Amino acid sequence: MTPLRHLREFHRRNGAGLSLFLIGATGFWILFMIVLPQLFMADFSFRANVPPPKWGTPEHYYTLEHYRYMIYGGGGEGSFNVIDLRVFFKTIGAAMLVTLFDAALCYPIAWHLAQAARGGWARLMVLALVVPFWVNEILRAFAFHILFGASGVLNSALMAAGVLDEPYDFVRENIALYAGLGYAFILLMIFPIYNAMESLDKNQVEAARDLGASRWRIHRRVVMPHAKPGITSGCTMVFMLTAGALAAPQILGGPGSLWFTQIIYQAFNQAGNWARGSAYAIILLVSCIVLVLALMKAFKVRLGEIAR
Amino acid sequence: MTALLQAAAARAPAARIGMALFVALFFAWLFGPLVLMGITAFNSSAFPRVSPWECFSVEWFEALAGDKALMEGLRNSVVIGLGVVALAVPTGLAGALMLMQVGERARPWYYSVVISPILIPGVVLGISTLVFWDRIGAMFGAGHKTFFYDGVFLTVIGQATFISAYCMLVFISRLQRFNPALHEAALDLGATQLQAFRKVLLPFLKPAIASAAVLAFLASFENYNTTVFTIASESTLTTVLAGKVRYGINPSVSALAVVIAAVTLLFAAVLEVARRRRQRAAAESEKIARGLLRSRTRKKPLLLEPALLMIVTVFVAGAGTAWFAGSIGLEECKAAVLEEKRRDAEERVRTFQQRQMFRRAAPQAN
Repeated sequence: MTPLRHLREFHRRNGAGLSLFLIGATGFWILFMIVLPQLFMADFSFRANVPPPKWGTPEHYYTLEHYRYMIYGGGGEGSFNVIDLRVFFKTIGAAMLVTLFDAALCYPIAWHLAQAARGGWARLMVLALVVPFWVNEILRAFAFHILFGASGVLNSALMAAGVLDEPYDFVRENIALYAGLGYAFILLMIFPIYNAMESLDKNQVEAARDLGASRWRIHRRVVMPHAKPGITSGCTMVFMLTAGALAAPQILGGPGSLWFTQIIYQAFNQAGNWARGSAYAIILLVSCIVLVLALMKAFKVRLGEIAR
Repeated sequence: MTALLQAAAARAPAARIGMALFVALFFAWLFGPLVLMGITAFNSSAFPRVSPWECFSVEWFEALAGDKALMEGLRNSVVIGLGVVALAVPTGLAGALMLMQVGERARPWYYSVVISPILIPGVVLGISTLVFWDRIGAMFGAGHKTFFYDGVFLTVIGQATFISAYCMLVFISRLQRFNPALHEAALDLGATQLQAFRKVLLPFLKPAIASAAVLAFLASFENYNTTVFTIASESTLTTVLAGKVRYGINPSVSALAVVIAAVTLLFAAVLEVARRRRQRAAAESEKIARGLLRSRTRKKPLLLEPALLMIVTVFVAGAGTAWFAGSIGLEECKAAVLEEKRRDAEERVRTFQQRQMFRRAAPQAN
């Protein structure tokens, strides 16, 4: 009975037209755009890889083969799918490092923006932070390609300065990729931290200073605890986006190295194996969520405080 | 306060200088690659590079306008962007209004579900949209010509999944400042719910609707990860660009970046000027309310604001100068560069031949 009562109350508060709009729009969003597609993808990932005309027929049976393939590969007993596993762990590990690097880089900037900069200068800085990110993601990666390429700006400069005798292959060594990834989502690290720091009362910092706390101690005991939700939120966003990045690895990745999303992309667009692609997508999704939940648990931050 | 800050500055000037240096370096890192890319757009070299500098030219911009695939992608991107705005803004609004009404216990669950698309990797969203609509289409026995398999439709749905959540966040932050008493008052005065919504809530939300629409369009326009899966046989600006960048690089991509940067800078300037105007108008209203001012100064059209006029003039003049400078003497310069390259190659051939002759001569001497 209670759901019906809730519905009646909802109707009384909003009227017929508005109720219909609210329930219709959120219902469509939640069911047909968020929940069901994920469930269908999960379902698809547990099925055999058969050509599209046979989808839904008995030959499209349930199986764990794609998940097994991720771990053991197509080889015999006891062998592991070294290629995919290595790419997977490299992707997760590199995404973590990029996230840590961005956090360390953005913390002082956010601090400067929130506490030291004022008035027109602060507004200008905010604008200057946002503008580069209105340029397309692919073009930003392209800019790094120009910077790091074999005949790129950095190599020319280093060779002209006599540091290098011949071009250093930044792309093959993945330096271009990590720099590009570190650049790509930096905005999503700065603003959550900045928002959290802005609400910190300046008097608290001054009180700590007057009481003789060192700069490091002020940050450690006053600023960081206050900015924790912002830091966690920024780290979450940057980690998820980096681990799920596709454009930057495609453009900046070395010839011999792959990002996990590229393997998914290949399964879909080159091998035509939707089932394996779905399974790998689920693996990426679940491992990212588990890691982020662990991070939030460790820092005692709730999901509600993220993504503000 | 200021005195304290000055005291702090006097105490640690080195730290302050260090911080300023760090900020400067940070912004150099932020803008450096983009500026360099912009410079390569004006180099006539067939490969995007700053050095060796060949000739100042705008030919890559001209190549851009003639690029059919790019223009086709641009058209699709605009269509998809408008579709996403039409779908994601109302959805985000409904999502935000719903959040205000969901019961205490259900709220965290509801919030987790609707916020999740922001955290789900774009690749995963693209794949799930593709698989879901394919299955639904198959259930209805729809053919491959129907919208279930149409790249533009799938892309709009796939992108709107997470862009709706962005829009919802915009609406939530605006709704937090809404005074529910206004709504109650409207109802007490006999308005129906729909009237109260249209006459009270919607006008209050107008700025949020505008910024949500802009945000939705920009997010859609620059999306790649979701689009690359849902777009099927069609193309958008980003997928065409990605193809160009991955296979065969030429400076017309840099030229496109310059165009995009110029448009965004102009756009940012317009927004900033509009914001200042609003502030000024608000200050004026307050003065009028306090009786300090008799009447409002007449409003000029936005485009006639001096600051904006100046910026537009600078842009137009800059583009004109670049076009002019790029067209005069370009042929001569290119010919000179070609001549230099030819001489260079000849030089190399000559030294090579000489070395060969020495080598041939050496055994004879023995």
